[in-house]
Amino acid sequence: MFNIPVQFAEASEPASGIGAFNINLKSFLFQLTTFVIVLLVLKRWVLPPLMTTMEKRRETLEKSLEQAKATQEALAQAETRAEEIIAKARVAADEALAEGRKTIEGMIVNAEATAAERAALIIKDAEARLGQERQRLRTELRAELAELVAAATEKIIRQKLDKQADRILIEQSLKELA
Amino acid sequence: MNKVSRRSLARYAADRLLAGDFAPEVAKAVASVLVEDKRLNEAELLLADINFELESRGKVATALITAANDLGDKLRIEIKSLVKKASKVDRVILNEQIDKSVIGGLRIETATRIWDKTVARQLNELRKVF
Repeated sequence: MFNIPVQFAEASEPASGIGAFNINLKSFLFQLTTFVIVLLVLKRWVLPPLMTTMEKRRETLEKSLEQAKATQEALAQAETRAEEIIAKARVAADEALAEGRKTIEGMIVNAEATAAERAALIIKDAEARLGQERQRLRTELRAELAELVAAATEKIIRQKLDKQADRILIEQSLKELA
Repeated sequence: MNKVSRRSLARYAADRLLAGDFAPEVAKAVASVLVEDKRLNEAELLLADINFELESRGKVATALITAANDLGDKLRIEIKSLVKKASKVDRVILNEQIDKSVIGGLRIETATRIWDKTVARQLNELRKVF
């Protein structure tokens, strides 16, 4: 394409001004017109769809970025929320654990108290039984002792108490009754 | 026909005896009632009731004396006097029995009271004290 102006320039004579640059005005105008036409064509039919496409693409990218940003924020919020939930769950777990520990300690204390009371009752019951048994043995021993004393006394009295002594005893009894 | 109560029969016998009826006749009448009513097993209790009636009316007290040895006349007189005074009766009848188990002393038992001064009873008291 550039050969043509050069040929036109070679065919013409050397000129001054713009001709000094070997520019063919007709060719220049033709090229300019062609350029303008191409420019108009591009502006009329090529650029608008291209711009529209690029705009859509840009919007899509912006939306994607916004969505990504929103997603990131949601993710951050979710992480924060999750951390809060985990923190709350941890606190709740700690509280539940403490409560459970407290309950278990209370149960242990109650169980110990109950066991102590039961042990005291068992000891008391055992002591009472021991006391009763001791009392029973003491009573039996006393009864046996009384029987021995009475038997010994009876034996001695039977040996010592002859008719004369019996008579004296009866006379004393009658005096007491009189 | 309603049966005569033992107490009524005892009162009837006591009345007749105190009225001076012959004792065997009274006994025969009372015995006939017991036989008629088939109550011969009540004879001992009836005698006790008659004694109670006689003693309660201040007439006769029948005393059962239990001792380990024979009492002798002197003691019998003393016992009669004692029972007569205590029971406030006109006459005292003594029934004696020798029982070696009493060891010593004596027991006087009338229809209304008992005096127990035996050694056996005192030994039993000793056992109870322990």
